[in-house]
Amino acid sequence: MKKLLLICLFIIGLGVALVNFKGLAAKGNYNSIIVNFREDIPSTVLSQQLETISQQYKQIPNLNSIFSINEHLYTLNGDEKLLKALQRSPLKQYVESIEPNYIYQAFEVPNDPDYSKQWNFRSINIERAWEETQGEGVTVAVIDTGVSKVPDLEQTGFVEGYDFVNDRIEATDDNGHGTHVAGTIAQSTNNNYGVAGIAYKAKIMPLKVLSSGGGGTITDIAEAIRFAADHGANVINMSLGGGGDTQVLKEAIDYAHNKGVIIVAAAGNSNQNSAAYPARYPHVISVSALDPTGKKAPYSNYGAGVDISAPGGSEEGKILQETIDPDTGNPVFTEFQGTSMAAPHVAGVAALIKASNEKLEPEEVLKVLKESSRQVKEDPFNHYGAGQLDAASAVQLALKGQITFKDFFRWLRDSGYLNPRFWIDGGVAALLPKVAMVLGSYIFAWILRNYFPFNWTWPLSTGLIFGSTGLFFLRGFYVFDLPQWPFRVMGSSLPELGNIIQGNSWFNPFFASVIIPFCLIALLLGHSQWRWFAIGTTLGVSVCLGVAAVTSPGVMWLGQDTLARCFLAVNAFLCIGLACLAMKGDERTA
Amino acid sequence: MSSITVTGKVEKSGFGVGVWALVSESGETYELYNPPADLKKPLSKVTVAGKIRNDVMTVAMIGPVLEVTDYKI
Repeated sequence: MKKLLLICLFIIGLGVALVNFKGLAAKGNYNSIIVNFREDIPSTVLSQQLETISQQYKQIPNLNSIFSINEHLYTLNGDEKLLKALQRSPLKQYVESIEPNYIYQAFEVPNDPDYSKQWNFRSINIERAWEETQGEGVTVAVIDTGVSKVPDLEQTGFVEGYDFVNDRIEATDDNGHGTHVAGTIAQSTNNNYGVAGIAYKAKIMPLKVLSSGGGGTITDIAEAIRFAADHGANVINMSLGGGGDTQVLKEAIDYAHNKGVIIVAAAGNSNQNSAAYPARYPHVISVSALDPTGKKAPYSNYGAGVDISAPGGSEEGKILQETIDPDTGNPVFTEFQGTSMAAPHVAGVAALIKASNEKLEPEEVLKVLKESSRQVKEDPFNHYGAGQLDAASAVQLALKGQITFKDFFRWLRDSGYLNPRFWIDGGVAALLPKVAMVLGSYIFAWILRNYFPFNWTWPLSTGLIFGSTGLFFLRGFYVFDLPQWPFRVMGSSLPELGNIIQGNSWFNPFFASVIIPFCLIALLLGHSQWRWFAIGTTLGVSVCLGVAAVTSPGVMWLGQDTLARCFLAVNAFLCIGLACLAMKGDERTA
Repeated sequence: MSSITVTGKVEKSGFGVGVWALVSESGETYELYNPPADLKKPLSKVTVAGKIRNDVMTVAMIGPVLEVTDYKI
């Protein structure tokens, strides 16, 4: 009895440890605190308590997002000390919970203290895009009022630009607009200071064409476009507009376009049905502005010429970057709104796309931006162009067709295959076919990803392992006085489960077939996360059976010759077909 | 450059660090281009004569750019 209890406790403990492994590894880091106020307290009490927090602890609580208003969900910067102080304070009678705002992807959420105020970055899904790229190797020309190297641009790379207003090489800002725009594109990020930028490893080429008053001539703008194209810019951002159709500007745009430069411009702020020049020229990506709820901002132009929409802010929430105060020239964090702010979101994402796949021509980049954007179903006035900008989907789409080392490495890491034990104890389970199955299922999933774009998720990876090999290194575990079969079970893939408890090396044909994957998919298809486990398992099983068909085709009652090989191969193909069908349904929900 | 006379009100428009806008009585918005100091404040009624600068682009993008040649407050 005692022994049985011991076994149960051991298995439960091991199971809990394995299930929680990733969670615990990623948990633990936080630099902000969630305060979830009770929903039934009056708003006067709520504002009183918020005021108390900011006075006593010198930290201002912010709504987590526009959607948190009804939930009374606030976040504020803070560490363990502040967390404990808050939990002990009289505040607790007004709250449902006070807890750490854990960073679940410690690598991708930047440490910039005011990143939490950049609702606009979360709304374009930037964190998942940063897992792939931060814009390395791309140069973005900012044709504007100039760019001053404020402290939060210290770590950002610059290339030489030009000041067309004052005819000099140094193109510093005397208005504040251009520096703000450059900040959205490439503000220094993960520098423990200020805010973040979208393509923060891209380089900025400052080109000043607008005076301190914010206006400039078309001839200067046209020259700046040619300068950018001749000096290696990959992307041009023009948060400016007005005037009429001129041949000189049109020709400059065509010139840059023919040199492979992606040109982005703001649609204009007069709430009228057509983009302003230069956004409305062919070969220019015209950007309308969204408010914090994802609706068209009240001022934004729309209709003819608008290609895509991106956050530009409104009175309900503006775009925060560091720039200069035009009166003093000193650095200052300021919130602006306008299609001027929307365009650099697209220029930044275009830089991420270009960094992900440098071969893409401007038309292809536009295609990626449009296809990856979140479509707005009812859009009779073309407020949104192709849809709302989505950085993560855009980068995923740009990477399509390319094997990336990062993908593979992340998959290995997430799946536990980077554990040294894998390599030491792997010999117990005939290492070579197992490695073939692991690699095979990865490559296989990667190939399918080109036809059915999806994201690597935890359920999918778990399914791939469960289907192909299991945590096979566990089979090398032997503990005194404990039976070894639990390790064999955990160390087995789905097709092996039918024979592993008995210790038989021949497959059970019921388990080594399409039957269980089929049942799993039928059961889990409706679930947004677990369906990926079912799909992963099915893919894993297909690779396991495929590899086994070639290397060790022993199947109970069928022998180990042609019949067994055919059985395994047919079932492997059936699994592939099943996985493809299941993926087809809803390709981007993962 | 077309000359034009517009009557309306002057107000600050909040794009970038802000620009001065002339909103005509018929509701059209003009961006004042390098306005004189007298026009850099909210005014309920003003008549401005000037030129529409089709060769100028701005960060504010709120409407046609109006370079003031004369005004009456």
